[in-house]
Amino acid sequence: MVSPRTIRNLKREWRNNWLAKIGVALVVAILLVAVFAPLLAPYNPRSQSLEDSRLPPMGFTETENSTSSQFVNGSVQVVSERTTVNATWDHPLGTNQLGQDMLSRVIYGARTSLLVGALGTLLAMLIGVPIGLVAGYYRGRVDDALMRFADVMLAFPSLVLAVALVGLWQQAVWRIPDPFVAAGLAPSMPPDIVLPGTVIVVVGLVTWVWFARVARGEALSVREEEYVKAARSLGASDAFVIRKHVLPNSVTPILVLGTIQVAAIILLESALSYLGFSGTSLSWGFDINQGRDYLATAWWIATVPGLAIVLAVIGINLVGDWLRDALDPGLGGEGGSGA
Amino acid sequence: MTDDPLVRVESLQKYYYEQDTFVDRLLGREPQSVKAVDGVSFDIAPGETLGLVGESGCGKSTTGETLLALREATGGHVYFEGEDVFAMGDDDRQRFRRRAQVVFQDPYSSLDPRMTVGDIVAEPLQIHGQSDREGRRERAKELLERVGLSASQVDRYPSEFSGGQRQRVGIARALALEPEFVVLDEPVSALDVSVQAQVLNLLEDLQEEFGLTYLFIAHDLSVVRHICDRVAVMYLGEIVEIGETDDIFEDPQHPYTQALLESVPRAATSEHGRRVDALAGDVPSPRNPPAGCHFHTRCPYAREACREEPPAYDVGRNHEAACFRLDESHAYWESTPIAQNAADSEGADGVGESTGPDESPSEAD
Repeated sequence: MVSPRTIRNLKREWRNNWLAKIGVALVVAILLVAVFAPLLAPYNPRSQSLEDSRLPPMGFTETENSTSSQFVNGSVQVVSERTTVNATWDHPLGTNQLGQDMLSRVIYGARTSLLVGALGTLLAMLIGVPIGLVAGYYRGRVDDALMRFADVMLAFPSLVLAVALVGLWQQAVWRIPDPFVAAGLAPSMPPDIVLPGTVIVVVGLVTWVWFARVARGEALSVREEEYVKAARSLGASDAFVIRKHVLPNSVTPILVLGTIQVAAIILLESALSYLGFSGTSLSWGFDINQGRDYLATAWWIATVPGLAIVLAVIGINLVGDWLRDALDPGLGGEGGSGA
Repeated sequence: MTDDPLVRVESLQKYYYEQDTFVDRLLGREPQSVKAVDGVSFDIAPGETLGLVGESGCGKSTTGETLLALREATGGHVYFEGEDVFAMGDDDRQRFRRRAQVVFQDPYSSLDPRMTVGDIVAEPLQIHGQSDREGRRERAKELLERVGLSASQVDRYPSEFSGGQRQRVGIARALALEPEFVVLDEPVSALDVSVQAQVLNLLEDLQEEFGLTYLFIAHDLSVVRHICDRVAVMYLGEIVEIGETDDIFEDPQHPYTQALLESVPRAATSEHGRRVDALAGDVPSPRNPPAGCHFHTRCPYAREACREEPPAYDVGRNHEAACFRLDESHAYWESTPIAQNAADSEGADGVGESTGPDESPSEAD
């Protein structure tokens, strides 16, 4: 499937493109963090300690003005107190309003984001690519019917769809036992990985259209190639031609789009979590939502997961750009975002 | 030998209809058609090579693909060993696919760049469910060796081969199912001259070895003369002349064939500086072909009578040509010449410097 020429192009782009290196470094780092979260996180991301709440991240001090009314000599006096809260190395990225360690929460949030990003993209591919290939290969009425259906899906606001599906399925959630915890390596960590099923399905239903469109375009051009004609002259069935010729020759732009869509889906997942549809509380979007109420007093609760999203999305997009430039110079800047 | 043709094509038609828009349908407009192939008939005897020549866009490749039922014919019939190809059921059609093969012009586009040549050559066997994976691989190696490649190249990709080698792979694929009939759609047009000769020799050897019947589509007349037993000359979707190769080349009857042969550059010192009397004008659009004899707009002998369709006249020895000049008693001889063509031609070396042979363009349709 991967020809030597492809690898050559990838290497050439790799040498000339320092952005690609940054992107790969970011993605690899986030992947490692997500996989080894139980070993890396200093605290259980769910354990609360109210006395440590709203500690600022390292390098920042926070002054708190608290006012209280007190009876002094028979009259009520308003006393305002200024307390200075110092950051501690115990919580390098601070804590949220419940005293949960932000570093641990961001580390665990990477799991949710990458899982939803990868599985959502996979689902979108599984739906979109066959539809697109069939539409492009057969053209005519089949194409019209499938693509108009895709347009309808595209016109559907993803959040409304999410609300409707969550209403139907009650935030279906799969719990997968965490292998590190099960092996006894990190006994104090959450015992399972929460897979937000509804969010993955919603994300797949919202973004498959992009894959269908790209796959259709590729199929339209591949079907005119003489090797397709040759296969048909040998008596190959349509299914055989699509599977053996059209799909392998369409795969490059689909993969490139896939990387871009992972980033778009991470954003979409964050938006859904922010609105409370995720079904898990260990998500960057969920934390941003939590931090919204404290933006004036504890800005880091929303900012830290926000930065994590920015880094992940930039990293994945840089990898996508690298793949696109190396594999398919003709694709240009297209791709579209799902959010 | 000609009594029982392997392939018989009867008034084959392939029209392309322009997509009529909603407005067209509303106004009841007649859908416009492009008559790519307009009533072509010929027979090919077993073991014979029939050449099909003509300018780019005259419908030769379309003829080849339509007679293999790769494109749906608009009209006419094709009989393969007496069986109507267009009326075949699925099983018969699949058997026909096994017995009739095609080699395409472009050795770059006709091989899937993501498959190894071994897989490409074995693909026909896979499609027809013949033997297992290992057996197919062995057969692919055999075939590669038969067409002059090495069995060790079985795992290479097409991009690692030259044009001539790729065309050999294409030929090996066509031979995998041991067919009887092969349509060669300009198999050497895209190759260097030295490589052309090798591939042509290979095709001749294979024909002898396997008793193949060829339909050889080409625009290069010297190649056709080398390999073909009989030649059919096409112009604008119709066959204007058909006959034995030697008769066509030594004694062409149709003015178009004559012009085509005239335009071939020759490698002889006596030919140095020979003026090539190229045909005037361009090929008319097949969307709106001239009435009557399609060639009358460019024919140096055109007369008013040519606005009618000429029948094919038998000039003996299986040689037929469609021109009124072959009928000495036809009204053609009394009608008036059409002016604009006569000027260039009958005044022998007239004015108007000719621009060189535009008859054999290097690119095909």
